[in-house]
Amino acid sequence: MIGNFVDPRKAFGSAVTELAADNQSIVVFSADSGKSSGFGDFAKKYPHRYFECGIMEQGITGMASGMATTGKIPVFCAIAPFVTARPYEMVRNDLGYMRQNVKVVGRNCGITYSDLGSTHQSLDDFGLMNLIPGMVILAPQDPVEIEEATKAMIEYQGPVYMRIGNPKIPVIFERSPFVIGKGQLLREGTDVTLISTGSTTLDAIQAAENLVKQGIAVQHIGMPTVKPLDVELVREAAGKTGKIVTVEEHYVNSGLGSLVTNAVSDMIDVVVKRLGIPEEYGKTSGDYRELVAYYHLDAAGIEESVKEFLYTV
Amino acid sequence: MADRVRILELQILAAKCRKNILRMVRSGGHGHIGGALSAIDIITALYFEKMHIDPLHPKMEDRDRFLLSAGHKCLAQYAVLAERGYFDKAVLDTYGNLGSVIPGHPDMHKLPGIEANTGSLGHGMAIACGMAMAAKMDGKAFHVYSVTGDGELPEGSNWEAAAAAAKFKLDNLTIFVDNNHLQISGDVTEVMNMEPIDKKFMDFGWAVRVIDGNNMEEILDALEALPFEKGKPNMILCKTIKAKGLSFGENNAAFHFWDASEELLCQAEQELDTYIKELERIG
Repeated sequence: MIGNFVDPRKAFGSAVTELAADNQSIVVFSADSGKSSGFGDFAKKYPHRYFECGIMEQGITGMASGMATTGKIPVFCAIAPFVTARPYEMVRNDLGYMRQNVKVVGRNCGITYSDLGSTHQSLDDFGLMNLIPGMVILAPQDPVEIEEATKAMIEYQGPVYMRIGNPKIPVIFERSPFVIGKGQLLREGTDVTLISTGSTTLDAIQAAENLVKQGIAVQHIGMPTVKPLDVELVREAAGKTGKIVTVEEHYVNSGLGSLVTNAVSDMIDVVVKRLGIPEEYGKTSGDYRELVAYYHLDAAGIEESVKEFLYTV
Repeated sequence: MADRVRILELQILAAKCRKNILRMVRSGGHGHIGGALSAIDIITALYFEKMHIDPLHPKMEDRDRFLLSAGHKCLAQYAVLAERGYFDKAVLDTYGNLGSVIPGHPDMHKLPGIEANTGSLGHGMAIACGMAMAAKMDGKAFHVYSVTGDGELPEGSNWEAAAAAAKFKLDNLTIFVDNNHLQISGDVTEVMNMEPIDKKFMDFGWAVRVIDGNNMEEILDALEALPFEKGKPNMILCKTIKAKGLSFGENNAAFHFWDASEELLCQAEQELDTYIKELERIG
């Protein structure tokens, strides 16, 4: 059931602003990115807790770390590659190695900045963040889940990376508490398991419905936590269906697909097909959905890839 | 003006800390000794004279903070923390051992008194800024101190922090630049010239004072004058001597990282013992 369309950045920014009313420790860093990250209200309501630093992502990551040593909970949101790839070493050392309670949020993730090109697309953020010991990686799948994931992220003690998109996305889930590290069994089936994350879950839901109509019993897992991966759920599904197809707006290497492949690597008779972006600098298009279709990550593309996979294995 | 007796006491303590550094180098066989010895007088003065700290309660909420941006100078901080009573001096003899709590760059999760995991250059100033911002935000009185090396200044992230410290009026932040003029490859001005360091920071909106960073009296006078200007972050440009206190290593880039010989370690210890006796005689 598809509900209202909501800007993911507003869902996230509003959730932080709401939480900040009761949690005085929450502070927000902006790299000339606050309003675009949904923090317009936060900046007005809590100016003494809002730090506009201009475009200095490395400096902000360090400052957020220092502030977190005193018990604050800094939230830093900007365009995804600029909070992951750009200040990577600061995230690794000052947040990861120092185990600081800082929340890094990459917006306009994946290929959602479809027309701005490879500098602004984030196709490696899962991979980069996954290499940092102890880093949690979240990719909530609808506006309601973004709000709940934001609550869970703030409650969690330690560094978290969350990625959200840019275009409005519809509500697809009933509200329920977000549990870090847990996947969701969205559909049961015995022929093949689809595992999707972030905004790809909506297309994966539609693809699964289409496939079921054609007599293919699809099991579908929504995976809004990329790390720590819900290995138990993945292995259970792998044992049941033997075939897994992962879906993500990320390089096929180093993202969810790679983590799922690792999780089942010792299981005999389990085959994994990874859908995502091949190793290239992303194509551009003024139309985001056109680009999603180009990479076969729309419902039709997923459906076609699953069928092809089933015919060949 | 600092008290003469206290200056002597601190000079003796700094010399003892230099001996602690040699003790660690003996344990590990080598170490980043040059920068540790150029910065040790500043760090000694901070921990024994200036900072509001309690070695028995290293996490005391309102403690002043000290972190080394130039994390490779950690032998100096370990030496001072041990002398100040943060941990047993026997720990100094574990330097270089597998799993030692005093590794080649500081780890806040291993040793009491360490505030940040530094080592990769250009990180410390921003972390220190964040700590000082938190103090300002909560109206807390604690001050944040950090030592950065002159060879570290070409890292652009320093200048991000320098701009932010001025914008947020962090007069509760003091950065010491350990200006010993030498890095591994040679003279800092030849490797990458960042001079004039004092003017660059002033242009960024900092209050700056230039001192002899191996002169205890000048260090104490500068510390007493903090904050230099209301609403401005403080930078103390410390003219220092690399490997200060090693008669055979001073001002020699080869002693940035020293593969020590027992013979030279003994010589250095004897020279420091003689120096300490001389200071005690004067006192």
